[in-house]
This record gives sequence, C-alpha cells and structure tokens, in this order.
Amino acid sequence: MKIQRLGAMASLALVGSIALAGCGSDNNTGSDTGETAASATGAASSDDCFDGTLNAEGSSAQKNAFEEVGAKFSAKCTGATVNYNPSGSGAGIKQFLAGQVDFAGSDSALKTVEKDGKVEADEAAKACGSPAWNLPMVTGPIAVAYNVKGVDKLTLTPAVTADIFQGKITTWNDPKIAAINSGVNLPATAIKVFFRSDESGTTENFTKYLKAAAEANWPGEPAKTWDGKGEGKAKSAGVAEGVKSTDGGITYVEWSYAKDNDLGVAAIDNGAGAVQLSSESVGKAVATAKQTGTGNDLALKLDYATKEAGAYPINLVTYEIVCSKGKDPQKQKNIKAFLTYFGSEEAQKAIEEIGYAPLPTEVQTKVEAAIDAIS
Amino acid sequence: MSTLSTADEAVATRTVASDAFGRKSGARAVKDQLARALMWGAFLVALIPLVWILGATIVKGGHMLVDADWWGKSQAGITARREGGGAVHAIQGTLIQAGVTALISVPIGVLTAVYLVEYGRGRLAKAVSFMVDILTGIPSIVAALFIYALWVTTLGFQRVGFAVCLALTMLMIPTVVRSTEEMLKLVPNELREAAYALGVPKWKTIMKVVIPTSFSGIITGVLLGLARVMGETAPLIILGPYTAVIATNLFGGLMPTLPTMIYQNYSEANQPAIDRTWGAALTLILIIFLLNLLGRFAGRFSKVKS
Repeated sequence: MKIQRLGAMASLALVGSIALAGCGSDNNTGSDTGETAASATGAASSDDCFDGTLNAEGSSAQKNAFEEVGAKFSAKCTGATVNYNPSGSGAGIKQFLAGQVDFAGSDSALKTVEKDGKVEADEAAKACGSPAWNLPMVTGPIAVAYNVKGVDKLTLTPAVTADIFQGKITTWNDPKIAAINSGVNLPATAIKVFFRSDESGTTENFTKYLKAAAEANWPGEPAKTWDGKGEGKAKSAGVAEGVKSTDGGITYVEWSYAKDNDLGVAAIDNGAGAVQLSSESVGKAVATAKQTGTGNDLALKLDYATKEAGAYPINLVTYEIVCSKGKDPQKQKNIKAFLTYFGSEEAQKAIEEIGYAPLPTEVQTKVEAAIDAIS
Repeated sequence: MSTLSTADEAVATRTVASDAFGRKSGARAVKDQLARALMWGAFLVALIPLVWILGATIVKGGHMLVDADWWGKSQAGITARREGGGAVHAIQGTLIQAGVTALISVPIGVLTAVYLVEYGRGRLAKAVSFMVDILTGIPSIVAALFIYALWVTTLGFQRVGFAVCLALTMLMIPTVVRSTEEMLKLVPNELREAAYALGVPKWKTIMKVVIPTSFSGIITGVLLGLARVMGETAPLIILGPYTAVIATNLFGGLMPTLPTMIYQNYSEANQPAIDRTWGAALTLILIIFLLNLLGRFAGRFSKVKS
C-alpha cells in the first residue's frame, strides 16, 4: 500500500519531468520574425549556414561580442548553434589543445616561445595536425573610466595615468592633472583607484600600455595580476560598479562596461594630442599594429606608444584560434561559415554598438583571406 | 530544522513537568526563562540567513518565474543585454542529469548499505565502511577533476552530460549508503528472526521484510541526496559547460543546467542577465525545495514500529 503510493508519487514526478522536457522551445523570435528568418535561411546559400553546433571557449573580454554575433548567426541560420564558454584565455587554449572545443578565443596569440618545456603554437599544431592560426576578430578598447562630480571631460597622458594608478597622484586637482586639463574645473576629491582582483587579460594589456608608453613612471612588469595601488574588485563588472558608486573613482575597464555604466571616459594624449575613445580612433591604432605571425597567422603586435595622431593607444585585440586544416572537414566548414559571418560588416557593426571596435579595413581584408584559406 | 523542533518539544515537556510539580522556585524560573530566551535567540539567528536568502531571491527573481516563457523557452538567440527567453533548457538539463545520477547511484548505494548491515562482517565490511566515509568527505571539485582526468585526459572523450552524472554519482553514493544504512539498522531484529523462524531464506527476508519495512525511509534518503547533488556547481563548471539551447543528449554536446546558467550570468553588469541569475537561483531553490518536501512527505511513513 505504502509502496504503491510512493511508486505512484515517483511515477508522477517522472511523467511530470518528461512532459516538461517535451514542451520546451528554442524559438525566441516573435512569430513574424520567425517566418522571415526561415525564409532568409532558404535564400541563403548552403556555404553561409550549417546545421549543427560549434563550441568555443576562452577569453571573457570577447564574450559579449561573441554572444551577440552568435545570436545573430543562429537567427540567420536556424539549426546552427554557437556556444561560447567564457572561462578565460588560458583555459580556452588548454581545452583547444585537448580537443574539447572547436576553436579557442584568446586575448593573446599562441606563444611561440618555450614555456615549461612546451611551445603553445607547436602544441596546437600537433593537436590540429596542421598549423593553428590566430585570427584577430574582436577589438576591445580599454577605457580609463572615471567618476568625478562636475568633470565630464578629462585628458590624461601616459605618465600621469601611470602616476595615478601608482598612487603617486592622490587628488583630482593635482597640478599634474590640471596642467593637461586647462579649462576643466577639477575638484579636490581624493582619487580612488579600482583594479581587477582576478587574473585578467585587461590588466595585462593595460600594464603593457603603461610600461610601453610611460616606462619611467611604471616600474612594474606587465602581468595578468595587478601590482599597482588601489582597491581590488572582481571582474569587469566589479570595477565598473566600484567607480560608478564612488565619487573620485577611476579604473581601467573594457569600453562596453564603461558605456553600460555611464562612466566618464578619459581621452588619452600619447604625445600627438588628446584622442577620444571611438571606433575610428581605435581602428587607426589597430591598423598600425605589426603582424608578427606569418602568412595567414595574423598574430598582431600593438604599438602602445604610438604617436600617430588620432589613434587611441590602449587596446585589446582578441583572437579566435583555429586549426588551419582540421581533422574533420565538415567542422572546418562550419567554423569557416561562422567566422566569415563574424568578420562581415553586419556582425562587426553589431558589436560596435555594444562597445567594441570594428576591425580596420586592412586587417579585415587579411582576416577574410585567412578564413577563406581554412580547410 | 529537525534539531530545532526536538528542542521545541523538550521545552514543552519541561513546562509541563514544572507545572506538575507546582510552583517553581525563583532561581529555577529565571534559569528556565534564560534558557528559553537563548534557545529562541539561536533559532531566530539561524533563521535570519534563510529568510534573507529566500526573501532576496523572491524579490529579485520572482518576477522572472511568473512569465510563461520562463518555463517554456530556452535562451537561444538571447544575449546578456536582451530580455526574454526562459530557463526550460537549464531545468531540463538539471532534471535529466539528476535522474540519471539517481539511476546509477541508488542501486549501488542501497545494495552497499544492504551488504554493510545484513552481510558485512570482518575486514571487508570495515574497509567498505571506511571508504564510504572517505567518499563523504571528498569535495565536489575533487570528484569533478577526478572524472575529468578519467573521462577526458585518459579516455579521450568529450565533455558531455554523462561525465557530469558520473561526478555527481561519486557525491551521491555515500549519502545514499549512509542514510539507507541508518534506515536498515532501524528495522528491529525480531522481524528478521521471525522470518528466519518460519524458514524464510536470508535473501528473501531482506527483499520481503527488511527493505519494505524501511522503504519510505530509504526514499527519503535518496531524495535528500538528490537535492544535495542538484545544487552542485563545481562538477558542472569543469565537465558541463553552459549552452543557451535545449540539449537533451547526455552523450553528445554540451548540456545546460541551472547552476551553470547562474554561473554564466552572474558576472554580467546588464540588468537582463542579473534578473536571469536571480530567476535561475529561485528556480533551483524551488526544485530542491519540492524534492525536500517530497522527501519529508515520504519520511512520514518511514517510522518503523518496534
């Protein structure tokens, strides 16, 4: 009797969960747009779309861009799913080497120098059976974001930025800041620096910039962990939130987060006049980057100390790391289809709206050629 | 909770007792009141985080759950900046993984407990019991890394839902063994002896007398164990990355679950993602609450009459 009742209960639960499992839907477009999407798929040639799943993993800096493009891609190609697991550049490369993901997202290109007896690029080539390529797909400018009451325009030079983040300049009306901000009424508020407490590619790129552009003022070595002064906060969202809630706060953070939180963004004067952060100024800086990879391997080296007029110098270029010639031809075709869309004007425009910068034309042409060569 | 309710009963009996003995002396009355105040204070302090967590998740995530889409749609095509979509993919993943985990660990756990209580004598039983104790103390992240090393590094498979189930199984088996063991020990020996006296063989005694007597207690243990593993996050992060679409294949592709959905959304600064974090958390609490309720309900029948 008792057992029967329990059995009935258990089977009820089982039936319930199965019923629930049956009724879910992946369709999140309205009925109208759903139809147009379907007809668009019919019109698109088979090379543009695919049926199936792509898995990528890596840098959290490009997560928002990836998510946006992935969503747009699956809206265009019903049946295609692109997953991105933002577990960090290092983890992404590890999973790529282990064959767990189809391609990796990373803030830095595969290392070509030996570390712990292993060369990342060689390991990747071994895993792929062919050289792995670094394809710059997303440019994420790093904003020096601040929140000072009454100040909506601020210019900083590398030396002053380094001093602020070293804790050497402690108030906003310090003569050094005032000297480069004539006409701005700076208050005597104390400067509160926020930094990333977790290991971060953003920290690495920002300290790389400070080291390159203001070596005399920045004694530390560029690294994923912060060795300046200030208060630590976890993740980009944390530092942005810290600045937002603190009068006198300043931090370095991806542009999209500065935008989302309505923070002030400082113009940077690398020696050729103040440059506002905009997609054009970022594009200009990325266009001057040197290619360190060979052929279709498009690993770039940014010139942080660039003195080119109108080029915003603090940038983060994130790569997709792919096998040039994979073991599974169908998979390679799918990757090719997705990355082609990622590099397209439509996708690059979409990520520009959420705080990334589109690839400069020169780089974009090279990326397109490289994607075409994937087989 | 159960310790608190026994404490309540203790107070009740004490009050009754002092009434029966007539007037209390002043010092004893003070002590009585003091103990009562302390106990109530402790109870309220223990209640604060519970109420706080429940309140916060309901206030911040409640509005997500009243939307029908939440229970019927996935997050396909939705980004952290866009509202809409649901959690059905994650709910399904969590239920499927929990179901398969139970399917593997319940037979192993129950049979191990039967061995320990009914058959196990000497060294082997001691060793098994000791191993179960060790297994109980394994942190979930260690179980996850062990399965990763086995499944991915050694066997060369992909990270799939089934690997998560294996890691969760490692965490669930000891819970099931321990609770079943306690339940089987509660079965009075007289029942077994009566069966033997009637000439019933041992295996039949276990099947027809011991297990049925403690059946609902075993169910309670299983459900509580299940509720525990459903909220585990470490194995999921390592073995089962999140995906925004419905995926019900345990052996191919990624499988979304509620804990990974929370993990994916929590680091976002955008309101829709924050809402989803709270919504998914509340859903998970709700599911585990229902399981617990089911467990308690089943537990009502578990009292063995001696």
